[in-house]
Amino acid sequence: MSLSVTCLLKKQNRLLTFLSVRHRSQRRNLGKPITAAQTLEERLEEMNFKDPKIHFKVDIGLPQPLKDKKKETAKRIEYLKNIKCNAELEKLARDNELPVSLEEISNDWSKTNAPLHIKKIAEYYGVYEHLFGDAYFLPYIQMNINYQHDSQEVPVYRGNIIKPYEAVNSPKVEFEASEKSLWTLMLTNPDGHLQKENSEYIHWLVGNIPGGDVTKGETIISYLQPFPARGTGYQRMIFVLYQQTCEINFSFIKSVSEKIDLDKRTFSTFNFYQSKQDIITPAGLAFYQTDWDNSLTEFYHNKLMMPEPIYEYDFPSPYIKPQKWFPLKEPFNLYMDKYRDEKQIAKEFLLRKLKKTHPFQKPEPSLKYPCAVPFKKSTPSWLKLEMKKERLRWGRINDY
Amino acid sequence: MYVCGTSKNLIRNAINISNITRYSSSASTEDSPSYAQFVYNRNPRNLEKLRIAYKPAGYHLDKPGREFWHKLQVTTSKRHVTASVLHHTGMVPILATTAEWAIRKQLFSTLDKMAYITIGKVLAQRCLESGIFDMINTYEALPGSKLEALLQNLIKSGVRLEEYPRYKSPHPWDRERPEKPWEHY
Repeated sequence: MSLSVTCLLKKQNRLLTFLSVRHRSQRRNLGKPITAAQTLEERLEEMNFKDPKIHFKVDIGLPQPLKDKKKETAKRIEYLKNIKCNAELEKLARDNELPVSLEEISNDWSKTNAPLHIKKIAEYYGVYEHLFGDAYFLPYIQMNINYQHDSQEVPVYRGNIIKPYEAVNSPKVEFEASEKSLWTLMLTNPDGHLQKENSEYIHWLVGNIPGGDVTKGETIISYLQPFPARGTGYQRMIFVLYQQTCEINFSFIKSVSEKIDLDKRTFSTFNFYQSKQDIITPAGLAFYQTDWDNSLTEFYHNKLMMPEPIYEYDFPSPYIKPQKWFPLKEPFNLYMDKYRDEKQIAKEFLLRKLKKTHPFQKPEPSLKYPCAVPFKKSTPSWLKLEMKKERLRWGRINDY
Repeated sequence: MYVCGTSKNLIRNAINISNITRYSSSASTEDSPSYAQFVYNRNPRNLEKLRIAYKPAGYHLDKPGREFWHKLQVTTSKRHVTASVLHHTGMVPILATTAEWAIRKQLFSTLDKMAYITIGKVLAQRCLESGIFDMINTYEALPGSKLEALLQNLIKSGVRLEEYPRYKSPHPWDRERPEKPWEHY
């Protein structure tokens, strides 16, 4: 008796000593020590680093127009001095009633800062990257592009949104140029090719434009309205203006016909520019974005003579962890459902729906108080959940 | 809508394509050879417009956070006011400053309230012309201040100073099916 008691006490002692000794936590610091660790920002920067010796851009545009900077600054200083002396202006400015004209600002802007700003926004929209690869240009020539829709003007700027029904007819293009100069105007869509990845459709090509009058130019590829497929989102339509040094014979791509042949319109600006780079220089840029509208259904059927394509964004499929033989603490119905064939589930839902629908009778009215309808006593809980989902229209029932 | 069986395999084999929008067609390609099963939209702004694109997560301890596509930035130097739009990649696609001659020309002073108002109007105009319609604003302007005038003029000219949340594609077992933002034509 006494022996067993001492034995027990000993055991307890051991247990007590085990509990009272301080053990080092098994949880170590996660990741590297603070001195060596990087923040997310630093890591991303390292990951996305591009060597400037390899990834540099080449300027293929016109040279900067010459200006007498000294004269210009002197003029500006004089102008500002005049403003500072004007007491009336000061009073208006103090009362916040200074008449500032936005139109004048955008006019002056197009003569001064516009090329740099347009280049920035074009880089942001990936225009140079997708048209010219590793090259860029500063658009020193400003184009005024206006579509006519219902006697209203729809201007093209730098990425504004224009619907296809507004862009049915070719736009009016104006730009300033000397009389003897020759130009080429191009409208291309790098986003909407229905067959090939990384290809473009050319929508309009006018060559040998004399003195900035587009109507006098030679139409090489006739105008085609934008036709973004349904569900593909916003596509860029890019106008590029090239300056020619001499007249070009465009017979190698010329195709002016009433019938629209999409294969013939497959185009690569990069190859086009490469073949003619000694003669043409990109000088102007404007673009807009366009997405599907319901006027296009008719266009696909009557003009393109094809069924209208409908696309949907391809979301990445969700991760489902590998199935276990003995999943613990998992509700069996929800767990098993995750590993079933989606098509089979869809079929079941559809069959159940079709069973209830009658071609000639009104559908059953929905329950007024769906949560108040009692279940049968013998209903198992998993079935109750399914019924509840159906009554409240939760989950998969919305898909079918 | 259903993706047909063959395309499902393709999805599994696909590598993560950043920046490229990939779309699958609902019809089978055999009936209509005039278009392919997959279309790739290269427009880098497309997913943001459709509200599918990611906003950078991982900076939730920073204040203000970085969960945005576009953000308004207003900086004041000793001489000039600059308002710009910042993209989360660090790009500054749009900028309006009183240092520009086009704007400076019409102002009396480059730092008074009138300058802020003008900058607000010009930035809004440039945003709309470039297809940027909303951005977030992290500034809290005092009532009656110059900054408030700038923000008000931005709003008045048609720029939203908040962004929509990202659309997350629902899993088949989720309860809710949120509305798809791109299905309003």
